[in-house]
Amino acid sequence: MMSESGGAFPSPYSIETPPGCEGWEEMYPYWATFDERRRESDEKRLWFWNSMHFPVPMPAFDMVEVDHPYYALGAWQNRAFAVPPAMGVDYRVVNGYVYISPNPVTDPERIAERAEFFGKRAGHYYANWDELYGEWRRKMEALNREVSEIEVPELARYEPDEVVFGDRNLSSTELLSAFSHTLRCAEMMWQHHFEFLLLGYGAYLTFSDLCKAALPDIPDQHISQMVAGIDVVLFRPDAELRRLARLAIEAGVAPAFEEGRSPTEIDAALAASEAGRRWLEELERVKDPWFNMGTGDGLYHYYGSWYDDPRIPYASLVGHIDALRAGEDIERPTAELAAERDRLAEEYAALLDDDSRASFEELLGLSRKVFPYVEEHKFYCDYWFQSRFFNKVREFGALLAAHHFIEDSEDVFQLSRHEVMQALEELSLTWATGGSALGPEHWPPIVGRRKGLLERLERWTPPPALGAMPEAVSDPMVVMLWGVTPQRLQEWARSQDGGGDRLSGAPASPGQVEGPARVVRTLDALADVRAGEILVCTITSPAWAPIFSKITATVTDIGGIMSHAAIVSREYGLPAVVGTGTATARISTGQRLRVDGSTGVVEILGGDDGDAAAR
Amino acid sequence: MAGAHTRPLADLRRADEPHFGAKSANLGELSAAEIPVPPGFALSRDAYLVAAEDLGLEGRSAEEASRAIRAAPLSAALRAELDAGYEELVAAAGDPRPPVAVRSSAIGEDTEDATFAGQHETRLWVRGIESVDEAVRECWASLHGPEAVSYRAELASAAGAPAMGVAIQLMIDATVSGVMFTCNPVSGDPSTVAIEASWGLGLAVVAGEVTPDEYRVSKVTREVLSRRLGPKELEYVPGAGETGTARVEVSPERRRAECLDEEQLARLVDLARRVERHFGGHQDIEWAIARGSDEPGELFLLQSRPVTATPSRPKPTGAQRSAIDLVMGTFGASGGGERP
Repeated sequence: MMSESGGAFPSPYSIETPPGCEGWEEMYPYWATFDERRRESDEKRLWFWNSMHFPVPMPAFDMVEVDHPYYALGAWQNRAFAVPPAMGVDYRVVNGYVYISPNPVTDPERIAERAEFFGKRAGHYYANWDELYGEWRRKMEALNREVSEIEVPELARYEPDEVVFGDRNLSSTELLSAFSHTLRCAEMMWQHHFEFLLLGYGAYLTFSDLCKAALPDIPDQHISQMVAGIDVVLFRPDAELRRLARLAIEAGVAPAFEEGRSPTEIDAALAASEAGRRWLEELERVKDPWFNMGTGDGLYHYYGSWYDDPRIPYASLVGHIDALRAGEDIERPTAELAAERDRLAEEYAALLDDDSRASFEELLGLSRKVFPYVEEHKFYCDYWFQSRFFNKVREFGALLAAHHFIEDSEDVFQLSRHEVMQALEELSLTWATGGSALGPEHWPPIVGRRKGLLERLERWTPPPALGAMPEAVSDPMVVMLWGVTPQRLQEWARSQDGGGDRLSGAPASPGQVEGPARVVRTLDALADVRAGEILVCTITSPAWAPIFSKITATVTDIGGIMSHAAIVSREYGLPAVVGTGTATARISTGQRLRVDGSTGVVEILGGDDGDAAAR
Repeated sequence: MAGAHTRPLADLRRADEPHFGAKSANLGELSAAEIPVPPGFALSRDAYLVAAEDLGLEGRSAEEASRAIRAAPLSAALRAELDAGYEELVAAAGDPRPPVAVRSSAIGEDTEDATFAGQHETRLWVRGIESVDEAVRECWASLHGPEAVSYRAELASAAGAPAMGVAIQLMIDATVSGVMFTCNPVSGDPSTVAIEASWGLGLAVVAGEVTPDEYRVSKVTREVLSRRLGPKELEYVPGAGETGTARVEVSPERRRAECLDEEQLARLVDLARRVERHFGGHQDIEWAIARGSDEPGELFLLQSRPVTATPSRPKPTGAQRSAIDLVMGTFGASGGGERP
């Protein structure tokens, strides 16, 4: 299937709707699709599937996770910092999947003009980084509490006394503003999210470029190892669990953590003794904020936090306690990690000539200064905020469900944010008037239809890219975050015609392993992973850490030098190949693979299931 | 042993190069630095010059000169020194006729400007003093071989009368051998060691008769960054009666097997780093792993010379600019360099 525009990828206008998925466009805003009125320009651009952030079709509500980040990213990059060669990133939805395309600046005069702005504005951030970042953390913590505290009015039969005797507003007034407030908090979060991200990645990318120019053979993982923080916030939740595991043994309450017990059963067993109750009190102290750790990447409503699914931290507690009882050392070897990181930096510096060494050391210092943000924003934004935000939306869902506008509070996510606002408006109106609402007739069929659409769309495999092959990729974010380089695009283009039994990607963590594949495209499928399997997925998140103790290697579709799959694999000493483009489409569960994390090559050795043989 | 024209290799230093040639002087430097070099002794340039004068080589054609050198026995005085040197190796090896390698060590060879790699004679698995005597004269004769003559003609720095030292070392019975560079010879990356290895004596790799296994190993972590299995169809082994060398086919199983394991690669990288540090520059090293009854086999350095043709590595755009300037360059701002 070749593009009509003559590029290397299919034209976005040539993609057919899978059978039974007709009308999928109703879930998305009018601006989100490949519209005939934009055909001339859209067909000439490269669009690549953002499978890193959006591996499955978008539920209607979850489009807030597309619109908000792209206007925050665009506004900072294009309007606030004025990054000289890059404006923002456009997106389009195809069969429920999100494709993105950067908007470059090509006019040299405009680039020069923007460079003036950028130099002053970015310079201010780099010069005052620690102070500004400290302020950022305070802003984010306040925002996370703000969104949690938004009150969703009850819509009771009679308004509370304070409406009449005090200065409380009518519930109908409050309901709409509470929902607007919730959405505004999400916009604020994305504003904060991108405030530092560009500049943080940029410093890192510069260091990485310098390393590769001076040391062409240097593995990407050594570069990130020299920069990565040892003691960053993301490691705290598990560190707290290890501390609690030691405490459970010291307090003699470890027997409560029997394998196979649910968190509720464990809590009940603990509550039976004084020592157990004291342990539970300590757990409560740890929960805020550390149980705001995510259970997956936060961009879909169904990824929650440890608060929402305590099975994850409890399973870790059981594992840590078992390991401690078996006499194992469960501490992260932070001193060794720090020593190794410094040793790498010193040895590489010593191999450089004097000029390069000075730049190397200065850039390494800057990268280490900015990098905590790059790692830590995930905790504050993607996990803590997102889980609180979606839970707040669920409260609105519960209200709509209580009034039969939808059947279940979760159904709220099948409506777009604009539709939720409409439903809440009608609810306010009919609650106030006492009249009969159309909502209970109107919304449930829509919800039902969309659930069916999403299920069918999930079975469709999106091509990695659409449209024309670009001559260059000038957007630093696109290179950094998505690993989209001209070379990677060529590989994607080649792999379209079948590509044989070899895939190549970025070598992210060294070592060679053979074993059976487990293809995981949704969070639910993660539970099927068996010990000894090679994980093949679109992208991993740090919250998947527990399965890294089972698997023997990782292969991902998407991922640049910063990807979490790479970082976690290195910590676990597992081979990893990231950014293969098509691994989840070309590999089937059960096929034997040979993964070489040193060269970035994945070989499909053969299928031992019929499904694989048919491919 | 320290005759008029012979010295133990271990006693030589870089300053001895004008008298003993670069190869012997380098080997001396390395044994002094406790780098494992097979024991042996060196014959000076003057030994050759005296012989050349005795034979009246001045003004004779290259062909006549090499014929004359091969035909005439060594002078009694020099032969006595050679006897004494070989006797020490007999004692060291505990073998009445220990095998030795007899290698040319030409003056002006293996400098940073020029390498005479492969122009001059090397004799391996030479046993008994008579054979050593003959091998020395073969080395001398190769000074007048057609390749060496034409190579010298192109080299201004090698002007003047040709002369040569000779190194005589105990032979290493190599299971695996090869060459390594203390940098990536293609990209110039100083953080990797490039290793080529094949079965048997190093001759096959040095002469380019086999496609060896290739490895690139990080100096910093000793990780193998890349490996390529070569077909290694043949190898050189000791000849009949363990004298001279024989070229034999390698069995299909050994062709498919890697000839180095991680532990051996790590030892090679350590050796490369020590040699590089010692000479303060990139080196091209010949090495061998001895067939030992004891595992693992001992690793020896056979020779080391400066890397002559250093790849022209583009200067990183980073040189002499501030970190912030460089970051601005990444974003295409403030006259920053283009990203590669």
